[in-house]
Amino acid sequence: MNYHFNWSVLWSGQSGAWLLQGLVTTVELSVLAWLLALILGVISGALRTVAIPPLRWPAAFYVEFFRNVPLLVWMFFWYFAVPPLLPEPLREWLFDHGAEFWAGVCALGVYHGARFSEVIRSGIQSIPKTQFEAAVSTGLTMAQAYRLIVIPIALRLIIPPATNESLNLLKNSSVALTIGVAELTFQTRQIETYTAKAFEALTAGTLIYLILCLAIAAIMARVERRFAIPGMIAQGQTGEF
Amino acid sequence: MKRVVVILLAAFFLIFMNARSGGADTTLEKINRTGTLTIGTRTGSPPFAYINKNNDWVGFSIDLVEQAVIPVLSKKLGKQIKLEKKESTPQTRIPLLTSNAVDLIAETMTDTKERREAVDFSLTFFVTGAQFLVKKGSPIKGIESIGGKRIAAQQGSTNARIIRERVPSAKLLEFPDQPAAFQALAQGQVQAYTNDGIQLAGLKAKAPKPDDWAIVGDFFSHEPYGMAMRKNEPELRDLVNAGLAEAINSGKYFRLYDKWFGPKGEVPYPLTPETKQFLQKQAVPK
Repeated sequence: MNYHFNWSVLWSGQSGAWLLQGLVTTVELSVLAWLLALILGVISGALRTVAIPPLRWPAAFYVEFFRNVPLLVWMFFWYFAVPPLLPEPLREWLFDHGAEFWAGVCALGVYHGARFSEVIRSGIQSIPKTQFEAAVSTGLTMAQAYRLIVIPIALRLIIPPATNESLNLLKNSSVALTIGVAELTFQTRQIETYTAKAFEALTAGTLIYLILCLAIAAIMARVERRFAIPGMIAQGQTGEF
Repeated sequence: MKRVVVILLAAFFLIFMNARSGGADTTLEKINRTGTLTIGTRTGSPPFAYINKNNDWVGFSIDLVEQAVIPVLSKKLGKQIKLEKKESTPQTRIPLLTSNAVDLIAETMTDTKERREAVDFSLTFFVTGAQFLVKKGSPIKGIESIGGKRIAAQQGSTNARIIRERVPSAKLLEFPDQPAAFQALAQGQVQAYTNDGIQLAGLKAKAPKPDDWAIVGDFFSHEPYGMAMRKNEPELRDLVNAGLAEAINSGKYFRLYDKWFGPKGEVPYPLTPETKQFLQKQAVPK
C-alpha cells in the first residue's frame, strides 16, 4: 500500500486534546444513557413478568417497538421530531444548551432500555417461582416482593448478559455523531479532516474503544465475583470450572 | 488479560505489515490490465455528482472524467477504458484511494496543503468559497455576524475549521451529511448552515421552496476543487492534467460548465470572468 504512516499526528497539534474531549463526551453520553436504560429496563422487564395483563402489555409494546427500530432512526427522532413539540422558549433554551447531546442520551437510553428489559425479564424468569410465592406468603405485597426479593436476585443473576449490553451501548454511542455530538468517533474524523491521516486517527479511536471496553469488562467481572449467588451462577469464573 | 492484549497488538501489527507490502503495479498499469478506471464520487452533491430523478448517477465532476480524462487514458493505453463509479464521502475518500479501492477521486474535494501530504491533486477544475445559507430575512449577513449564533457545518469540510479558528464564539454543530444539516436549519436547531457557495446553491435549488432561503456573505474561504490521486503516480497525474487542460483549451470544459451551471443548468451559477481567466491560465497551452 502506497501510504506513509505518521503516528506523530496523534500527539502533535490539537489531536490529543480532541481525542480526550471525545473520550469524555463518549463516557458522559454512555453513563447517562446507561442509567436511563437500566431504569427503563428494570421497570419494563419486571412489568413483563407480573400476572396482571394490563401491566404486561404496555411493557411488551415498549420493548418490541423500541428495540425493533434502528438506533439511527431514534437519533433523528429525538433530535428532529421531538423539539418541535416543545414550547418555543424551552426549545430555544435546549438548542442553546446542547440539544444534540440530550437527544443522544434519550435515543441511546430508550433503545438500550428495551434491550436491557429482555435481559432482566430472563433473569426474573430464571428464578424459581417458589421464591416469589414464599415472599408473598410472608406478608409482602406483590410490589414489595418484586422490589425487595425478585429484582435484587435477578440483578445479581444477569451480570454477564448485562455486561454485554453495556459494551454494546458504549460502542453504539458513536451513532450520536450523526446528529452532531462531538464524541470519540467524531473526533477521530476531525483529526482526519485536519491532518488527512485517516488510518492513524481510526487506529487511535479503535484502541481507545478497545481499552474502554476491556476496562468495563474487567470492572463487571469484579462486580460479578462480588455479587454472585452461590449455586445460582458460576461464581465469576469466566466459562471454566 | 495480558496475553489477550499481546495477541491483539500482534494482530494489529500484522495487518499493517501486510498493508505495506503488495500492490506492485502502478495505477496506470492497473488501469491497463483491468481496462477500467475506478473513481470515487458523491451521490448527493448536485450538480457535481448525484443520483438524479431517473436514478442515474451523473454530474459535472463525472462528466469531466468521462469526457476529459477517459479519452486521454484510452488514447495513451490504446484501448477503450471503462469508467466504474464507487461512492465516496469526505471521511472515506482518502482511505479509498490509499487502499487502492479507487484510482481517482472526482467529486467536490478541496485541494489543501494537508491533503497534499496524503494524496496528489490535479489542476483545479472548479473554484468556490464558503458562504452561509439562512432563512430569508435572517440577521446573519456573513462571517462577521455569526458570533454567539448556532452554525451548522458539514463534518470534514474546510469551512468548519475556519469558523472554529476565526469565530470561536460561534456554536458550531457538525453533521456528517448535507440533508441532516439542512433539516437542522429548517427546524431552527441552527441559525445558519455554512458550506461552499456552490453546494449551498445546489441545496437551495433543490429545496421545496427555494425562495424561502438566502445565500449570504462574501466568500470567507478559498476552495479550489481538484481531482485526487494516490501520491507518487506522476504518469497518471500528468494524463489527468493533460485531459483537463485540453478540455479547457478546446472549450469542452466551458460547454460542460454551461450544461450544469448555465441559466438552464441544474444549478445556475455563472462563471465569473476572474475564474474563467484563472482556469485558462493554469491550463498549459499546447
